[in-house]
Amino acid sequence: MKKILITFLIMFTFSTPAFAKVNIVATLPWIGSLASDIGKDKVAIKVLVKPSQDPHQIEAKPSMILAAGKADILIYNGLDLEIGYLPLLIESSRNPKIQPGQAGNLDCSQFIKVIEKHEAVDRSMGDVHPLGNPHYHLSAQNILSVARGMTHALSTLDPEQAAFYKTNLTAFEAKLKEKQKQWAGISLKGKRFVAYHRFFEYLAQEYGFQIVGYVEEKPGIPPSAGYIEKLVEDMKRSKPDGIITTTYYGKDEIDALSQKTGIKSIVIPHDVGSAPGVTDWFSLMDTVLKSLQSQ
Amino acid sequence: MKQGIILFILLFLLSLPGQAFAESELELRVRTLEETLKKQEETIKAQQIMINELKEQIKKDEVAIIPESKENPQEIKKETKATGLFGASAMSNPNISLILNTYAYSSNLTTDELKNRGISGYTTEGLDRRNGFNLDSAELAFYAPVDPYFNLYVTIPVSEDGATIEEAYFVTTSLPKGHQIKAGKFKSGFGRLNSQHSHVWDFVDNPLPYRAFISSDDSGIDEKGIQYTYLTPLPFYTILGVEILQGENKTLFGSDAAGGAHAYTAFAKASLDVSDNATILFGPSVITGKTKTDTVAANTDFTGDTTLYGLEFTYKWKPTKYQGFKLQSEYLYRTQFGNLTDLNPGGIVQRLDRNQDGLYIQGVYLWNRWEFGARYDTLGLFKNDYILAGAKQDQGRMPWRVTGMVDYTFSEFSLLRLQYNHDESDVTGKPNDELFLQFIFTIGAHPAHQF
Repeated sequence: MKKILITFLIMFTFSTPAFAKVNIVATLPWIGSLASDIGKDKVAIKVLVKPSQDPHQIEAKPSMILAAGKADILIYNGLDLEIGYLPLLIESSRNPKIQPGQAGNLDCSQFIKVIEKHEAVDRSMGDVHPLGNPHYHLSAQNILSVARGMTHALSTLDPEQAAFYKTNLTAFEAKLKEKQKQWAGISLKGKRFVAYHRFFEYLAQEYGFQIVGYVEEKPGIPPSAGYIEKLVEDMKRSKPDGIITTTYYGKDEIDALSQKTGIKSIVIPHDVGSAPGVTDWFSLMDTVLKSLQSQ
Repeated sequence: MKQGIILFILLFLLSLPGQAFAESELELRVRTLEETLKKQEETIKAQQIMINELKEQIKKDEVAIIPESKENPQEIKKETKATGLFGASAMSNPNISLILNTYAYSSNLTTDELKNRGISGYTTEGLDRRNGFNLDSAELAFYAPVDPYFNLYVTIPVSEDGATIEEAYFVTTSLPKGHQIKAGKFKSGFGRLNSQHSHVWDFVDNPLPYRAFISSDDSGIDEKGIQYTYLTPLPFYTILGVEILQGENKTLFGSDAAGGAHAYTAFAKASLDVSDNATILFGPSVITGKTKTDTVAANTDFTGDTTLYGLEFTYKWKPTKYQGFKLQSEYLYRTQFGNLTDLNPGGIVQRLDRNQDGLYIQGVYLWNRWEFGARYDTLGLFKNDYILAGAKQDQGRMPWRVTGMVDYTFSEFSLLRLQYNHDESDVTGKPNDELFLQFIFTIGAHPAHQF
C-alpha cells in the first residue's frame, strides 16, 4: 500500500512540470498556426479540425471533449461556424476555464470587421450564417487583428510571458509587412471568378476581384441540375477567369463545370495543412494568391 | 344655482392667499436650485477633466498592450456586434427549436393486434402504432445558459394526447475541472441509445432489448433525479457517472414502486480514436431498483427487485461529409426476483425469478446524402430463465427481428426515412411485417452534432 502511495506521489510530482506550457485548443488549423507563431515553445497546441475536414460538419468526438477538458484556453473562429459542436464540447469538457465569459474562451471573430451580415434570414436560403460570413482568415487585415487579439488574450492568461508573446507578435507583424509587399505585386483586380461556396469574399474585397456566381445554389445545399444548366449558360456568356473551390468539397462539381464551359477549375487550399507546402498561414496565402493569379 | 356661484367665489377667494404664499416659497426654492445647479456644474467640469485624463491614460495603456499598432490603434477594439457561440438568437431569448417527428405506417397486423402485441415472458406492453398516419410528436426544445454556473435544458414533446415534459434539467459549468452535476428530469446515461433523443436514432423504433427491458415506446429511462459525472484525467477519454433516480419507468420499475427515490445507476464510457477518421466508444452500465409492475404477465402484479446490466459498443468511421460507416451494438442482461400475484379470483402469490438477456447490432453506411442501414435484434440469446415458484418455464423459441432502412437527408434539418421490420418477437402469434415512412424536421436553433 505504502509503495503504491509513493509511486502515485512521484507520478504527480513529475506530471506537473515547473514551467508548464499554456495548453491551447484551437478549432481550426489556421488558428493553431497563428497561436504557434505567437506562443512558440511556451504553448502546447491541439487542433480539433483536420485540414481534410469540412469545418461546417464536425461532430463533438470524445477525443475532442478530452482535449477541451485539458485546455487553458480554447480559441475558435466564431460567427456560428462551430455552432454544431462547440457549445456541446464546451459543456462536456467539464472545464471551468474555457466557459463563455472566461479568459480561456477566445472568439477570434470579435476582432474583425464582418461582412455579409444578414438582417433577416431563414433556412429556405440554405445554411446561411446569420452573423455574417465566417470564412475571414484569407485576409491579411483580419489575421493581423486576430494575431493582436490573441497576443492580448495569451498575455492576460500567462502574464509572465507577456513580453515574449509581444516580441513574437512584433516579428509576425514585420513578416506580414514584408509579405504584403510581395503580395502587392500580385494583381487580381478586375478578375471574375465563380466559386463553389461563399469562402473567398474577404479575399475578394482585399484584392479587388469579383465572385460573379456560386456553384452552390444555396449555402450548404448541393445544386440542382436545373440550376447548373443555367449557371453553365451564364458562364459561357460572361466568361469568368476561373471556377474556384476548396480542397474539402466541390472538386468533382467544378471539374464537371469546367468541362462543360471550358473555363479552368482551380482547387484552393482552404486552410493550413490542406495542401503540400502549406505549413502556416503565410504559405497558405502564398499558395492561394498564386493559384488565383496564374489564371 | 346662485348658491353654487357664491360657493365657487368663496372657494376661489380662499385659494388666493395660499397661492401668494406659495409664490414666495417658490422663489426661495428656485434660488436654492440655481445654487445647487451651479455647484453641480462645477463638479461636472472637474469630473470632465478627470475623464479626459483617464481617457488619455487608457489610450496609452492600449498602445502599451498592442505593439506596432500606431497605424491603427483601434484595431484590438471589439467590433460592436453580437458574436460568440450562441449569437444567432438575441441574448434575451433562449435557443429554441422545434422537431417534428411523424410517420406513415403499414403492418399486416391490425391496430388492435399491435396494441396487444407483447413479448411473451418479457413484457405485456404492446405497440402504440396505427396503420396509416402517425404523429410521434412535435418536440419543443429550449436551451440557454442560466448564468455563469448553469446551463438549462427543457424538452417538451407535444403529441395529440397533450404536452409532457420529457426533460427539464440543469448542467453545471463551473465546478472544478472534470466534475459535473446534472439534475432535474433527464434521460439517464445508461447505455447508448437511452441517452439520445429518438429523432437522432438511426432507425425509427427502439431495438427489442430496449423494448423488453426498458420501455415499450422510445421514451427510455427518463427520470427525475440527479447525475454526477467525472471526466477522468486519463490519456484517453473516460467518463464515470452515477445517478440517483426516482424510479418511475413503467417497464423497469412501475410508476409507484416505492415511496422515495429508489433507482440507482452507474456507468463508464471510454473512447479511442483508432485513426484520424475512426473512433470507438464503449463501456458498461448498470441500473438497479425496486419494482412494482403489472407488465410481467396478463392479470398479474409483480413486486420485487430489478437490476439491468448493459454493455455498449460504437464504431464510427467518417472520412468526409459524404462517406461514413457506423457499427453499433448493445447487450442487456436483466435479473429480477420477487413475488408475482395472480389477480384472478382465488389467485395465488408465487416467487418469480427472471434472468434474461438481449442484443442488438446495427450498421449504417453513409453515401452522399443517403444512408443505408441494417439491424438485427434478439432476446434470450445466452440466457432466458423464467423461473416461477422454482420451476423453469418453457419459453419456446428465441424472439428476433430483422430490419432494413434507407434514409435521405435533404439538409441538416430535414430527413426522410423508409424502414422495414420483419418481427418474430411474438413467439406465440403471427410475425409482424411493418413498413415505416418517417419524416423528421428541425426548425429554430441549430442542433448539436453529437458523436
